Amino acid sequence: MNVLRDAATVNEDDANLLVLIIDTNPLIWTRLAKSTGLSLKEALRHLMVFINAHLALKHDNEVAVIASHVDVSKFLYPIPNPHKLSEDTDQTMNSNMYQRFKVVNDQVIGNMKELFEDLSKLNSYPDKASSMIAGALSMSLCYINRIMRADEIGHIKPRIFIASVSPDSPNQYISIMNCIFSAQKLGIPIDVCKVHGEDAVFLQQAAHITGGRYLKLPTPQGFLQFLMITFLPDRYTRTYQCLPGEEKVDFGAACFCHKKIIDIGYVCSFFVIHWNNVQLAGLTNLMLASVNEGGLRVVNGIKKLDKSKGRESGGST
Amino acid sequence: MSKQYKYKQAKITEEFIDVDDEIQNSTQQTGYAWEEEYKRSWDVLQEDEDGSLKRTVENLQHRKRKRLFRDTATIRRGIIRHMFLIVDLSEAMMEKDLRPSRLDLTLLYAEQFILEYFDQNPISQLGIIVTKGGYAEKLSDLTEILIIMGSLTTCDPGDIYDTIDNLVNENIRVSVVGLAAEVQICKLMCKKTKGTYGVVLNEAHFKDLLFEIIPPPPVSATQNKAELVIMGFPSSVTDASPSLCACHSKPTIGGFICARCHSKICDLPTDCPVCELTLVSSPHLARSYHHLFPINNFVEVPWNNSVSSTHCFSCQIPFPPLLGVRGGAVPIENSGRYKCNKCHQHFCIDCDVFVHEVIHNCPGCLATTH
Repeated sequence: MNVLRDAATVNEDDANLLVLIIDTNPLIWTRLAKSTGLSLKEALRHLMVFINAHLALKHDNEVAVIASHVDVSKFLYPIPNPHKLSEDTDQTMNSNMYQRFKVVNDQVIGNMKELFEDLSKLNSYPDKASSMIAGALSMSLCYINRIMRADEIGHIKPRIFIASVSPDSPNQYISIMNCIFSAQKLGIPIDVCKVHGEDAVFLQQAAHITGGRYLKLPTPQGFLQFLMITFLPDRYTRTYQCLPGEEKVDFGAACFCHKKIIDIGYVCSFFVIHWNNVQLAGLTNLMLASVNEGGLRVVNGIKKLDKSKGRESGGST
Repeated sequence: MSKQYKYKQAKITEEFIDVDDEIQNSTQQTGYAWEEEYKRSWDVLQEDEDGSLKRTVENLQHRKRKRLFRDTATIRRGIIRHMFLIVDLSEAMMEKDLRPSRLDLTLLYAEQFILEYFDQNPISQLGIIVTKGGYAEKLSDLTEILIIMGSLTTCDPGDIYDTIDNLVNENIRVSVVGLAAEVQICKLMCKKTKGTYGVVLNEAHFKDLLFEIIPPPPVSATQNKAELVIMGFPSSVTDASPSLCACHSKPTIGGFICARCHSKICDLPTDCPVCELTLVSSPHLARSYHHLFPINNFVEVPWNNSVSSTHCFSCQIPFPPLLGVRGGAVPIENSGRYKCNKCHQHFCIDCDVFVHEVIHNCPGCLATTH
């Protein structure tokens, strides 16, 4: 449906705003570098070429880059009042380089370095396996909203691209879904490139619902090629492209009790919350009692219960 | 006047009155904006005593925020709704006090209302009834009624008080949006059935009243008990070669795979024909989640606390610097910064509105680990 709507509204002359969300989870990238040889540094080099190619396609194309790290989501480009970058960024390429490429490259790489230098927080964060995708998506939507407001004639066509390596974080399920529906409402396609690992269920749904593209790399070494062929074409060009269909979209949802991704669950007819099978078997009485008793308190009750394993009295009141 | 032309006019009217509501209008490109744009736009802008427009602009901004202040307490909401929309099509609707006419504006808003209704209540139902010349036709039994009424009189075949009592007994909530003036019987009916009653002041207020009814209503404790229903969330597949589906026994390429018995089904939502598991699309359910976990209202940041932040956390737009005090000019009254009390990040007014009306996520809370 999105594609059909696009065909009517997107023009060849439109400028494109590309918001890149780069998953920079250092733990996963280290593992990835060991197993496949694609390090974050190498991947970043591919992404810079991709960004430059995007800027080169049209003079008024715009780009924004957000890092989705383990403990924080942060804008890498553009940032207000960019400070002087440290001397070790490459100053030698000045003469033969398009100035815009240089500004973008320097800022992205410089800010990325800054992000990695601050490793102190890493140990304190509980969920090291995933990254702050929901935060990065919310920020990119706000940024797009700002750009679209300023652009009165509707000349700029935004899209979001996510380079993901971390597995799904069921804790972020609701917020990711909220982002997906806002993107759908605003007609912003979300492209997802899963560089490594299992299929990301939520991001797959994101691409499916917003009419973006989802690709799991068969060979991470060929990152750049997949970027250029699958994700570079703008929204206008895409109406003429024919991709092999999506093979499978997993519509799994996260349950509210264990934050696990499930296929079959129990849904409360009033406030539509999924319960995991196992949880229900053990705690049916408690839960049904509290459901009848009143509303959302049940969720809090179960959450409490999960943390303080076994202390059921806390949950049932 | 052709129908299409009327419709365009209606669009234009809406466009300039609702100056502050660009999110909803962003999808509608205006037609003849130049024809109407200048007609009343200066009525909105009025100079204050010093001949400045500042106050007007601020008022506009505040109006934008005013709508945001919602109840963020967790309450039990009925997400599966069954509502009738009753539209008055009597002669009173031809009045032109709302422009272009009561009828045209009603139809325009009804169209937006229906879209928004299904967006926020994806697993609900909506029926439409029109009343005209003393007749109304009912389509099916639903549990909620919304009436858009232009007329000041009603013609009731029986005793209206009996009807109201029946509504109360059947737990049917009635809300009325009046276009003319307050009608006592409507007010009584809404009060008794726990609905809302409002009379429109102008075009924008009409829209506000109508759209207030969209979020799922709180459920009273006496209504039916909640039950847990087992449901499956199937994944979609596209096969290289067609295979038979379990529901129609026809060869299809795409479809959904039942989460329990792995048979192929054509469409959602449905019951699996093989194992009878209720199958729904999880994104459908997820659409309603933001009602369950509303985010806190942001608070305005006074000048003295805001010096540290230079730009909006989420969209990176620079904040106004602290200029006015030193320059001897009048300081700008508000700092343009709005704070989330959980993550203490500062946001601009546009992001504040956008976050509460569209995303329903606080970017600050999600992007930091405080």
